[in-house]
Amino acid sequence: MNALHPAARRAAVALRSYTLFALAWWALSAWVANPIQLPDPLRVARALATLFADGEIVEHASVSTARLLLSLVVATALAVPLGFLIGLSRRVEAYVDPLIELLRPISGIAWIPLALFIFGVGNTLPVFIMVYVAFFPLLLNTVAGVRGTDPKLLAAARTMGISRAATLRHVVVPSALPTVLVGLRLSFAGAWAAVVAAELIGAPSGLGFAIEWYRQLLMSPKVFAFIAVIGVVGFVCDALLRALQRRLTPWTEGQGS
Amino acid sequence: MSAAVTRSSNPEVAAGRVGPVPAARDRLAPWRALALPALLLVLWQLWALGLPADTRAPYPSKVASTLWALTASGDLPLALVQSLGRVMAGFACALVIGLLLGVPMGASAKLRDNLDPIIESFRPIAPMAVLPIAILWFGTGTPAAVFIVAYAAFFPLIVNTVHGVMNVPRRLLQAAHTMGVPRTRILLHVLLPASLPSVLLGARLGMGMAWTAIIAAELAVGAKSGGGTSGGIGQMMFVFYAYNVDLNAIVVCMGVVGLVALAIDRLFRAAERRLMPWKA
Repeated sequence: MNALHPAARRAAVALRSYTLFALAWWALSAWVANPIQLPDPLRVARALATLFADGEIVEHASVSTARLLLSLVVATALAVPLGFLIGLSRRVEAYVDPLIELLRPISGIAWIPLALFIFGVGNTLPVFIMVYVAFFPLLLNTVAGVRGTDPKLLAAARTMGISRAATLRHVVVPSALPTVLVGLRLSFAGAWAAVVAAELIGAPSGLGFAIEWYRQLLMSPKVFAFIAVIGVVGFVCDALLRALQRRLTPWTEGQGS
Repeated sequence: MSAAVTRSSNPEVAAGRVGPVPAARDRLAPWRALALPALLLVLWQLWALGLPADTRAPYPSKVASTLWALTASGDLPLALVQSLGRVMAGFACALVIGLLLGVPMGASAKLRDNLDPIIESFRPIAPMAVLPIAILWFGTGTPAAVFIVAYAAFFPLIVNTVHGVMNVPRRLLQAAHTMGVPRTRILLHVLLPASLPSVLLGARLGMGMAWTAIIAAELAVGAKSGGGTSGGIGQMMFVFYAYNVDLNAIVVCMGVVGLVALAIDRLFRAAERRLMPWKA
């Protein structure tokens, strides 16, 4: 395989790994001989095809992604302005930071029972949990990004008599943006993990709900198929966010990836 | 692969521990810090005063008395010990597998090329997504919870171990080889100390994930098995939600979950300072 291009060689190696993995899985399932506990890869592939064909995967995946998008938008709208405020003013930080540090260790998951009681089973619960989870990485990274603005640039802007608003817009925002985008990717990763938990416990739809639904029906191939879909959707969303990073901050190629 | 590394270093910078704090304002700082939390607590308590006496809504003084009652009865400490035991067991599994796989993967590019695609494929699958499988395999008891914890803690551990071993300066290894140091001694005295910062970082992140995962697992197991059978603090929260409908107790549990997360984080940071004084 040495004659191949490095990327092609890596792809070939990856393909071989996946094949070996599938074979090991198949062997293990043959040994377990209990399709409810461990269905073989072929069955799972068939289940995946069926679920795709009757639109069930698309339906649940789009519900989950819609919730994800909504909560990322809400979390960004809340966290980024607050992050700028905290990053720009020591006074705001002195008052707000302790409250944030008090709340931050409480994981989003721990809010589920209380939120279930307040919002009930439905759309609001997963969105609330995801907004909460996505809020902190975005906020912390925005603050770090604002703080990390090169003092020399700020001094230069001041020397040239540029107004505060213009400095903010043309100096602070561009210099904080890469860090904010890294925060967005972290927020996404946390929120995507949380949505499965939230839907599993307290939503009537979505990927997390579907997995648990088919487990209760003991339809394991479909459980495995939906788990694979969660992985794929998560991977695709992260790739999209990376593309956004490259698009918005081309000067930081490769940072935080 | 370095995403997990960036992920961890940012919050530290961001938590406001960089840059000089004006010394003159220091005397007022604790008061400023307390102002907003205290104000919110007072408002919350005042809001509750307006509610009817038999309200289910949680409020600070009731939460405090519930905390006392749950501690005195021994329920809360017991649940905490159960949850922490599961976290330790799962974390230990993840640590062993993560190191056994991660060190060779970091040392050999060939192994890395082969295993990386598989590990990266599983990484975007949330621990909670594999919970249904864990229940199918292990039932709704402790083993399922331990499995979820191990799964959750595994990824930060392996990613950071590989990263750490990969970035050990080659010159150190070559120097050791040249001087004829045996392989096991190189492993123990060169490779391990040089990759320790990364491994510890992975351990801290993994432990954080593990604690979140155990709460999720116990909650979901409680919710889906329809009864408080296996214990733990997540289970306790579910029982307070579904059976006793005691919101004050739920708030107590949330506070305890947060405190434990904070304590774990501080413990690991202290260990990092202790084991790597050269990094401080």
